[in-house]
Order: sequence, then C-alpha cells, then structure tokens
Amino acid sequence: MDAGSVISILITSLMAMVPIVLTSVGAAWSERAGVVSIGYEGVLLMSAFFGAIFAELAGSAVVGLLGGMLVGILLGMLHGALTVYLKGDHVIPGIGINLLAMGVVPFGILAYWGTAGQHQLPQDAQMWHLQTPYGDLSPMVFVTMAIALVTWWVLFKTPLGLRVRSVGENPEAADALGINVEKYRFWSAVYGHALAGLGGAFMSVDWLGLVHKTMSGGRGFIALANMVFSGWNPLVSLIGGWLFGFFDALAAWLAPKHIIPGQFILMLPYIMTLVIVAGIIGKARPPKADGKPYKRE
Amino acid sequence: MKRSGSELLKSINLRPFVESLIAILVGFIIGAIVLIAFGYNPFEAYYWLFHGALGSTYGIASTLKYATPIMLTALTFAIGTRTGIFNIGAESSFYFGAIAAVIFTNIWDNMVFGLVMGMLFGALWALPPAVLKVYRGVHEVISTIMLNWIGWFFVLWLIIGPYANPNDPNKTIRIPVDARLPEIGYGLSIAIVIAIVAAVLTYFLLWHTTTGFGMRASGMNQKAARYAGMNPKMAVMLSFLIGGLLSGLGGAMKIMGEGPGYAISQGGANIYGFGFDGIGVALVGRNHPLGIILSAIFFGMLRAGTALMQVRAQVPLEIIKVIQGIIVITVAIPSLYDLVKKALRRGAA
Amino acid sequence: MERTPIIEMKGIVKVYPDGTKALKGVDLTVYEGEILGLLGENGAGKTTLMKTLFGMLHPTSGKILIRGKEVQFKSPSDAIAQGIGMVHQHFTLVEVFDALHNIILGMEGHGLFSKIDVDKAKERLQKLMDDLNFKVPLETPVEDLPVGVQQRIEILKMLYRDVDVLILDEPTAVLTPVEVEELFRVLRQLKEEGKTIIFISHKLNEVMDLTDRVTVIRKGEVVGTVNTSEATPQLLARMMVGRDVVLRIEKPPKEPGEPILRVENLKVRGDRGEVAVNGLSFDVRAGEIFGIAGVEGNGQTELIEAISGLRKVEEGKIYLQGKDITGKGPRELYDLGMAHVPEDRTHMGLILDMTVTENSLLGLHWRPDFQYVKGVINWNKAREHARSLIEQFDISAPGTEAPVKALSGGNQQKLIVAREVSKEPVFIIAAQPTRGVDVASTEYIRNYLVKLRNEGKAVLLVSADLDEVIQLSDRMGIIYEGEFMGVVKPEEVSTEEIGMMMGGIRYEEIRK
Repeated sequence: MDAGSVISILITSLMAMVPIVLTSVGAAWSERAGVVSIGYEGVLLMSAFFGAIFAELAGSAVVGLLGGMLVGILLGMLHGALTVYLKGDHVIPGIGINLLAMGVVPFGILAYWGTAGQHQLPQDAQMWHLQTPYGDLSPMVFVTMAIALVTWWVLFKTPLGLRVRSVGENPEAADALGINVEKYRFWSAVYGHALAGLGGAFMSVDWLGLVHKTMSGGRGFIALANMVFSGWNPLVSLIGGWLFGFFDALAAWLAPKHIIPGQFILMLPYIMTLVIVAGIIGKARPPKADGKPYKRE
Repeated sequence: MKRSGSELLKSINLRPFVESLIAILVGFIIGAIVLIAFGYNPFEAYYWLFHGALGSTYGIASTLKYATPIMLTALTFAIGTRTGIFNIGAESSFYFGAIAAVIFTNIWDNMVFGLVMGMLFGALWALPPAVLKVYRGVHEVISTIMLNWIGWFFVLWLIIGPYANPNDPNKTIRIPVDARLPEIGYGLSIAIVIAIVAAVLTYFLLWHTTTGFGMRASGMNQKAARYAGMNPKMAVMLSFLIGGLLSGLGGAMKIMGEGPGYAISQGGANIYGFGFDGIGVALVGRNHPLGIILSAIFFGMLRAGTALMQVRAQVPLEIIKVIQGIIVITVAIPSLYDLVKKALRRGAA
Repeated sequence: MERTPIIEMKGIVKVYPDGTKALKGVDLTVYEGEILGLLGENGAGKTTLMKTLFGMLHPTSGKILIRGKEVQFKSPSDAIAQGIGMVHQHFTLVEVFDALHNIILGMEGHGLFSKIDVDKAKERLQKLMDDLNFKVPLETPVEDLPVGVQQRIEILKMLYRDVDVLILDEPTAVLTPVEVEELFRVLRQLKEEGKTIIFISHKLNEVMDLTDRVTVIRKGEVVGTVNTSEATPQLLARMMVGRDVVLRIEKPPKEPGEPILRVENLKVRGDRGEVAVNGLSFDVRAGEIFGIAGVEGNGQTELIEAISGLRKVEEGKIYLQGKDITGKGPRELYDLGMAHVPEDRTHMGLILDMTVTENSLLGLHWRPDFQYVKGVINWNKAREHARSLIEQFDISAPGTEAPVKALSGGNQQKLIVAREVSKEPVFIIAAQPTRGVDVASTEYIRNYLVKLRNEGKAVLLVSADLDEVIQLSDRMGIIYEGEFMGVVKPEEVSTEEIGMMMGGIRYEEIRK
C-alpha cells in the first residue's frame, strides 16, 4: 500500500464524512433537547433532490446547498409539530418521512428531468473543488468541521446549550425555572433536520454532482449510529463520522484484494456502536428525557 | 353466557379503523396534488392502479403475493408494540429467514424443514436485542437499527460469497424443486395462506391466551402487570422471539415461493425493504393482526396496480411510496379522529 | 416591633376538575423575617397551598398579596421574580449537570450565545456558601451526590435568585439527624439575615424546635395559628388530627384467631436506597383488622410492597399461615391466599385501557376456572365473573366490555375490591382503600372490610385517613420513619395521643 493510496483514502473519507457528520451533529443536538428522529435518511435523500433543483435553477451550487437546508428546516418543523406540540410518537413520523422520500425522489427525477433514477448535474450547478493529485476536496469539508466545533461550543459552553440540555434531561426542572420546554425542543428538532438538509444537498450538488434515487445509501442511519457511538457529542461526531467514512473507503479499497470480505469491515462501525451502547465498553447514555413527550401536569 | 351478535359488533372499537381510512384518504389526496403538479392525471392514475390490482385474476393474485411478506413483518412490529417495545428488527430477521431457507433446503430438500429453519434463524437473530433490552436496558430502536445493518452485511456476504450460484453469480443457489412452496396460480404460492394463518394465530395468542394477556398487560402498564403476577421481562423476550420467528418465516417464504428463480437475487434486492414496509402496514392496521391482514392486502394492492398504472397512465410507480409516506405521517398524528371531528365542526359552523 | 405581613393569602379555594376540594377557603398570613410552620396530615392541603403560592397551581378563587400588592402568578418564574422560592419534596435537578450549572440554569446572566462565565458564578456561589457556612461541591455531577447534599443545592438554587421567602416542603424526610441539625442552623441564619421561611411538616418535634409560629391545616381548612412558644405537642396534635365525632361502624366484638400474617424484624429499603422500614415486627390475626396509621412517606408503601412481593426484603422474614413467604412473587402469594387492594389504583390496581372484564381477571387469569384448556382464556367465563362482581358490589359500569377508565374513581375502587375478594383470600391488604372515592362507595367498602373481618379473614389496613383507621381497626400501629411508635387498641388511646405518635413521639414517652 503506497503513500498515494493512503492519501487518496483519507481524502475520500473527508468528503464521505460530510453528510454523516452534519447529520450526526444535528441529531445529537436534537436528542440532547429530547427529540428523537429516525427520519434523517429521508431528509438526506429529499434535500439532495430538491437542492439539486435549486442549484440548477439558480446556476449556483451555494443556492443548492441553502435550498437543501430549507427542505430540512421544513421537514424539521413537521417533525417538531407532531412530536413536541401534538405530543405524538417520536419514531413514527421518521418512518413516514423515509417512505415519503423513497417515493418523492424517484418520482421527481422522472417527472422533472425525464430520466429514470439518475440525473447528472450541469457544471454550473456543481460546487467548486480544490483539486489535488489524490482527489477533490470541497470547502464544505471545512465548513462541516466548523459547524461541528461551533455546535459543540454552544451546546456545552453557553446558556443556550445549557437550557437545551436541561430540556432533554429533566424538562420538569427546566419548566420550573421558567424555561419554555416546547420552544427549545421544537427549534432543536428544526436545527437537527436543517443540518441533515445541508448534508443531503452536499451529496448531490457538491460531492457527487448527480442525483440518484437511492443516493442516501443508509447514511441517515449511519449518522444515528455515529451519534450514539460519539456519546451525543458534536465534536466527537467529527471523529466518529470520519471513522465511518474511513471504513467505507477502506472496504471499497480492500474489496478487489479479497483479503477480508468488504462486508465485515463495513459491519465494524455498527458492531462497535452496539458494544458501546450495551455498556460493555464505555458508557453511552442518551439524555434522560429523550423521546418522551413533555406534558405539564 | 355468550354474547349476542350485536353486542359483539358494538364492542369493536371503530375509531382506529376510521383513523386509518382518514389517513389513506389524505394520502391519496396529497398524492393527487403531487401528480397534478407534475402534469399527470390523478384520476387516470388511480383508475389504472385499482384496475391493475383488482381488475383481473392475475391482478388479484399479484395483490396477494405482494401482501404476503409485509403481512408477516407487520406482525413482528405489531407484537412488539402490543408488548410495549419498538421492534424494528423485522428487516434483518427477514434476511436471515431467506438465507436460512436457501442454505438448509439445499441440505435437505424438504419444504417444512426450510420453513422451520427460516423461523428458527429469524428468531435467533432477534435474541441479541431481546437480551440487551431485558438485561442491560438498551433501547431497542438503537439496537435493532444496528443489527439490521450488521445482519445485512453478513447476509450480503453469504449471498455473494459461499452461497452464490456458480452458474449465475447474480443470484444465490436455488431452492430445490421439492422444497418449493406449491403454487396456487398466476405466480401466487400458498405463502399467502400461511401468512394469514400466522396472523390469525398471532391474534389468538395475544387475545385468547394467558401468555398473550400478560404480553398486552406488560405493554400497557408494567407496574400493574407485575402486581397481577405477570412477568414483563418474559413478555418482552417472547415478543422479540415470536416477532423474529414471523419475519424469518416471511423471508423464507419469499424465496421458497418466488418463481421462476427461487433464489435471492443480486445484492439481496428481492429481500430488502420488507421490514420497513411492514412498519407502515402495521401502523395502518393499527397494530392489530386482523387489521394487518386488511392493511397488507391494501398495500399489496398498491404495489400490484403499479404495472398497469405505469403502462396505461404513464405514471411512475414511485407515486405509491409518496402516498404510503403521507399515510404513515398522517397516522402518526395523535388523536387524529378528534382533530378531524373538530375541524369538520368548525367548518360546518 | 412593627410586623409587616410579607405574604397574605385570602380565601384560597382550590377545586380539582374531578371535583375534589383540596382547599376550602384558606387564609394565611406570613410575617417578614419569621419562620412559619405549616402543620398537617397528608391530604390536609399544605403542599397544595404552597404550590399555589409558588405559582405551580392556579387557585379556583381567592387572592394572594405580596407586601400588600395583589399578584397573579402564571408560573413559578413569576413567583421567583417576586422573591418567593420553593424547595419541593421531589427534587427538580438535572442529574448529569453539576451543582453550579443546576443553580444557574435559566439565570445564566447575559445573552444566550455568549460563554457562561463559570468563574463569576463560582465566585458568587462561593460567597453565598461562605456566608452561610453551607457547603456544596460545585463541580461534581449531581447524580453522584448524596440526597442531603442535593437538597442543599435546591436551597442554594433559590437563594441564588435572591428570594426573600423560602418554602420548604417536608425537607427533613430525606435527611439524617445530623443533616437536620445542619439544615436548621442554616435556616436560622437565613432568618437572621431577614429572610422569611415557611416550613411544611408533619413532625411535631421539629416544628416545635424550629418555628416561631405554627399554622395548622386540616382537610383543606385552617384550624388555627399559634405562637410556638405558647404551644405544646399535645395542643398541636389535637389541632392537626381534630376531634370529629366519628361515626362508629358496627363491629361485633370478635376473638381474633391465630396469626395469619407475621412480620419479623423487617428491614426494607426505599427507591433512593434509604431505610424505609426499620426492623418492624407485628402480626395480623384471623378475624381482625390491623390498621396502620401515619403520615404518608413513613414506610407504609415500602412495607406493603415487601409483603405483597413487589419489593426486595433486605432483612427479616414474612410468614403467611406459618409458611415463610419472604421474597416470593405476587403470583405465588395470590395462590397462597393473599389479596391486595393497592394504594395506586390507576397505576397498579387497574390497567386503564383494558376492559372491565380484562381487569377483573388480573391476578386470577391463570386459574383453571377461566381457561378452556391450559393457557387458553375462556372469555365467556371471564365475562360472567365480571358481571357477578358488578352485581355483587353494585358497581356502576357501562358494560363489561367498556374500558375501565370510563368508570368513576369509586366504581373503579369497588371493582378492585370485588376482584381481590373474589380470590377468596385468607389475608387481604387494603391500602388507601377509600382515597378519592365518593361517599357511598366509601361506606360500602368500609362495611365490606368489616364483613371480611367478621368472616374470619385477616385484614391489613393502611390508610392516611386517620378516622378510617380508628373506625375500622381492632388494633392499630402508628408508623413513623419505618417503625411503630405504638401498637394500640383504638379505644384505649385519645386522638391527641395518636397525633403525637404520628408526629414521632413513642407511646411509652406519652404515657410516662
């Protein structure tokens, strides 16, 4: 294995980690506030699709990214309304969003672009990349790192973050001190889905330059695994997300070499997450009031 | 003292049924809006959808064929819900049921053996999340999602690796002829009958046995269940195991009943996604086995009708997933019935 | 010294949606700079009254004046803004945060996005703690701290917000004697600094020790207010417990038989690891009602849970008809002849979303009478059973297939009693059997318990309603902090003496 391949894999991992890290950071924030969602897979897919449309219409990738984020915001508001204000179940809306995406996107690709399953984006709708001999690098990689860092900082060092965390751990305590539990939870859900929206648009408009009907590829669930694996910590999610991306790239590189079947490498991050959450190694505990609708007595 | 027929009818709570109907209606309405937005004719689309599903013997056979696997995975989710857990592991138990059928019928080409092994491995795969939940308090949504992926990669390796068909690397080795499920006709095997029987047995278990009573009680109120001398931990274990068994059966029957290939196809395409679809079926069927039978047939109808809809109305088949997604989101609204009643009242005022 | 009322509550009435009148027109005056004790049994209304003052509950009618100005609190933060703070019985702390962050939560100082000035907060808290000599580790996660320290954090939380009035709800329930002394020292110092303290308790000795004045509340009304210096435990006990003319139920004298239930040196721990039942021994004989009186939270719940197989026994033994049943589970106990009417009917005794028929089968569902073959339920027989329960006990229900939540509280309770009795037990536990139950059903249930006793059953009655215990029991034990202060026959003691025992004074001490 020569230095060139190593650097190639590292660069691929950096690009691959963007949607995962963004979604994990968002999901971690949302769950810290007590709102669970398993619909990020659908958000990634739908924002990839709609982001691409925005990018094409405006001839700008940045517009595409923002458009994807908007889609995430809207879906986040839907989820927030159902779970926080209507006190509904947290897991079911996510299942609905995933199903919806699996329908809207292939349908949309065919209906809007007339192609079946995939559409290549024109050059002007794609993001500028830094081109190195080992692969392309997008500014979004650095934006992602910044977002992870800032989110971590706000969550653990500022009053906003303190209140968000209190609302996810003990909403009664927060309520008794005059904190509006529902408001904090709702907007946290929106933030979480917004970041996933950004991550989804990145995939189509930036990373791959195309829209494919199954392009989310399970990354929404990988991001959830990463979130748990990283102990609901946005900064650690950066490392975890990169790790997941690394395993992805490693498996692809190893596959033709037939040393270990790629599938076993791909399994590793999930096994590790399971091990951590079972308390065998480390102590990963979700926020105490995570997923429980809050009703004032 | 037996109950009179009218007493029996009155005792069936109609509200959940109505809520599912409302959700289905909303799904179709929004689906129509989406169709119009992209320049399609919803009436044409829906006409051919239903005609394709119910308008011919072939259509009905297809409807039932598509209904079968999702009926079983829906039962898995529903049993979980009734016991108070969120079991989304049907997806991977399905994979294991399918691959177990392929492997073991090639050791002994007996149909019953194949089904039994499918059920066994589906149940075994449900053991880890069950144990983690009962003994370590691990939330089953996290563990089953992880295990779905671990299971997927493992089974994928089996499909591409040791059990690939040397003559056709796009598939696994086939189910031997003697182990295949007998066909009823038009591509439909007896799997549908087995699935419906399984649903009825699940209903019987939950509502007519002491074990099922304990499971339902634990699902509603653990404290009261303990007070009543029941064992909530055992209830959770059983729920996972029976759920895994049902999905394993679904996976096994999918391959054992699916001509002309009778094999798992490239990349596991014909065993993927049934667990997730099953959740939607369960939700619309209100987590009741008998409701699930109807709901699965409805979802099967949607799938079966797409062929004709695509050909005659030129509408992409994915529109039904859009409709399904809207239905599930709508069904997730708590007290949907009350909300609609209030809205209608305000509209009338 | 001219004394200014800092708080005046006038004509406070609180009626809950289900009709319960928790407060029937309470007037309360609190003077600045005093320590006021609020004394009463459970259900008297003390906590309800203070929750209203703290803005957690809205009064049905009446007004609250702070320093002469009328106020309307919409939430606790309004109360805190007016200088009123409350430390509840059940803590509201975020367990993963440290003390510092729990205290400053919601009051972090500056904007939402700027860095929390941990040092400044630490400085301020350190000063507060030094002034009072009241220490708390600021940077340890709260979940790792003992309960006594957690309570201090709750107090500091309020002091940090510059409250002038501090309400404490049964604060000593979770403290060791040493911690109690510490707490009192701090409270006295706060008083010296000009703060006002309202001290809710049922413990006579503590109230006598700490307070300047005592207001006694009974059944939602104020009985009276006295200066502590002029009061005695007997006086307070009499006020707390009252001297109602009690309707005595006809109880033919009965010679009790052998002990059916025997408890020996029972030690049981509560949810927080504290000792809830402390070496208790007693027995309940056939043909007898043994009542346990006492303010809730003194170990009754844990005792019942231990006897009925729902809680681990740490030390000691329990015998049923001579057989050792320590550690056995509910199912075995039901088969051995025990029945249990639990104190929490909605969360334990019934499954609200299940039908009347299904609920009537709880604890009976494995009996062969209700099965076609082993394991298969015969719902026809179950429905018959439910119907007979409804008839026998005159329960008002829309039908056997109605969800049990459609029944009123009284009818739900009657259903539970009917079901437990249908188990044909030799021993029955009745915990808070008439709580929240209408008058007619209450009378019915009480008469039924006496009927069981007449038939030779052993009945263990636990109730926070003292009248009920006195009326029904042949013998009674008054429980305080997990021990019996005395085991007496109701006719041999005065209600005053009972009140004193409930407040923590042993029978031997009283009779000296």
